[in-house]
Amino acid sequence: MGMADQTEVIGRLEDVVSTAEDFDRVVAQALPTLLERTRYSMRRFLRDTGQWSEDTAHEKFILRWSAEYLERFMLSGRNEVPCRPLYLLDAFVAKLHSRPEPFCYHPELLTPLGRFIDGLVARAVVSRDALIALYHHCYGMSPRDVIAVTGLSESESQRIYKNFRRWRESGWQRTMEMIGMTDAELEELAAEQKRHHQQFTHEAERVIRFAQDHYRKSEPDYYPCLSRPEWEAMFSEAYGHDYRLWHLVLCMDCVQKTWGLGPKRMPIVEKPRLEIRVRP
Amino acid sequence: MEQDKDLAAYCARVLGMLNMNTSRSLRSPSDVIHVFINERRVGTLNGREAESSLQFQRQGCVDHIQLRSEEGALIGSLSAPECGFRATRLSLPEGTVELRIRNTAEGGSASALFTPAPRRWSEFLRSMAESVQTMAVRPVADGTAHGMRMVVVLQVLLAVIVLGLAADRIMSRLTPDGAPQVATQTEVAKLEQQLGDLARMQAKAVESIQLQQQGMVRLQLEIAKLSSSQRAIGAGMQAARQTLGHVEEVGRQDAAQSSGIVMSRASTDQRQLKDEIRNLTVENARLSKEMAELAEQNQDLEKMLKSARPEVSKATVTDQDNSMLIQQPDHEPATSMSPRAEVRNNTQPLLFWVNFSEGTTQESIDQWVHDMQGHMVAVNGGWQEVEVTQPSMPTDRFLEQVRGAKIVKAVRVDQ
Repeated sequence: MGMADQTEVIGRLEDVVSTAEDFDRVVAQALPTLLERTRYSMRRFLRDTGQWSEDTAHEKFILRWSAEYLERFMLSGRNEVPCRPLYLLDAFVAKLHSRPEPFCYHPELLTPLGRFIDGLVARAVVSRDALIALYHHCYGMSPRDVIAVTGLSESESQRIYKNFRRWRESGWQRTMEMIGMTDAELEELAAEQKRHHQQFTHEAERVIRFAQDHYRKSEPDYYPCLSRPEWEAMFSEAYGHDYRLWHLVLCMDCVQKTWGLGPKRMPIVEKPRLEIRVRP
Repeated sequence: MEQDKDLAAYCARVLGMLNMNTSRSLRSPSDVIHVFINERRVGTLNGREAESSLQFQRQGCVDHIQLRSEEGALIGSLSAPECGFRATRLSLPEGTVELRIRNTAEGGSASALFTPAPRRWSEFLRSMAESVQTMAVRPVADGTAHGMRMVVVLQVLLAVIVLGLAADRIMSRLTPDGAPQVATQTEVAKLEQQLGDLARMQAKAVESIQLQQQGMVRLQLEIAKLSSSQRAIGAGMQAARQTLGHVEEVGRQDAAQSSGIVMSRASTDQRQLKDEIRNLTVENARLSKEMAELAEQNQDLEKMLKSARPEVSKATVTDQDNSMLIQQPDHEPATSMSPRAEVRNNTQPLLFWVNFSEGTTQESIDQWVHDMQGHMVAVNGGWQEVEVTQPSMPTDRFLEQVRGAKIVKAVRVDQ
């Protein structure tokens, strides 16, 4: 985009838009500019908080989060008309950054393995398909294993199969694209796992805890870890399905603690242990 | 260079996905719509139900609501100011979702109401067919199953009648004779009437089934609400258990801490008490020693008193001598408490001069003199001479007491 075009786009974004349709049109035409502006804000935020480094991993990180922000802005901003989209975006990003821990940042999550795990867990926060698929990617479980481990009822278990199917069809691919994992990186991850399995798993276990600790707080009331008798009560009294589904996949300690609490008629599943699966 | 290319490719991909997500999220149908408030999942709306709603309240303000599909695609979003009301209506393929946020100083509340789009006749038939199929596969509630069976039977019957009627018409057209055609027309009229009755019955049956379906939907809604509240209660119970455990732990720690404080205080008090007892013992010993010395001194004084009595009797002869004796203490050294002076003070009347404070009434002076068991003698230049016959204490102490009286300004014993 030339300088003149850029100036014109910014000029349009600075003007007042009066209807939601106008907002959609103006924003859709200026997506690259808005993405660049959000990247700039994020880069400055990371610099100010001493978390920035000049490398591709950091650039990818802010691109991913800028896209997240922009997607939210595009849908919520249309309810704010009349407004000036450029300044509304600035306010929107500033508001997000004013919160504690606005996103999950840890230097170790910027490696290919870290990005892979962080991307999956971050997606699980907003997508039930990704949440259920996390049982497969972290513990190598099948839908039946998930149902057994979480002790779901028959009516609930049907959705698990659907979640798995959708994830295999499109969810995984879209998530990998979103977090910027290239095919080469995925191949390299799989090869590394094959070559140094124990070291790879050990590294994954260390990294996954950073992501789990951060994203588990996104659940309402922040479902805390429970003792085995408390889990036992929840399983036997058949409540807290969301609690189980959400918490167990995001807590390595609890998923092992609750092993064997599912209904007796369920097939016996091996005690869950971390077993990263790169492909769905 | 390769990294730059990789980054540029990623950037282009992200932009493409942003464009795609916006259009996809508005197009893609979703059975379950997940509701997020302030980035936290709070519940779901069922896109297959007749109507589905979700209410949420929190102590802080509700910043925004987001709707996401099961795949995680952002379907809609609404932000709200810290104080005030905001609402919007989102159109989805399955229907509309009405979002509302209300923030006040006391807290925020939000609601999401899903209303399905009106179904077309074909969709209705499809759903009916699905229902029949489902009924054949798995058992459903007795009332609904009975109604559905009735509809199926009626539809089959209707189809048979229509086919029969059509065949009859064809046959009648093929017959050349006119008389049977009249008879056939009568039968046709009867059949048409029966057909009308059947159609009405079918309409009624369909209506009753619709009512039953609505009832079922309401029932499912209630069940969903109940299960939701059960989940909430469960979560609350867990939280309460956790809190209780924490409180017990804190209580134990507090108790241990407070008992430690009490114990340390008690030991400190005990130490202080021991010190005091030790001090008292030392003091007691000192006092006993002093008492012994005083008793010894007392014995000496008694001996001296016995030896001084003859001299005292000689000395009490004249009034002049008395006045002289009274005037002596000023000139005597501080050790005026000699046995001799004591004896004199206890036996001779005491004369002294008093200067009263300004504004003292005569009544107060008289009363004061009376209280001392004395009497006034003379007045000279503002000084009042007072005589006390027998002071109840040694002269010095007596005069000190006189000086201490409120109405007394100054005292002297000389002229």
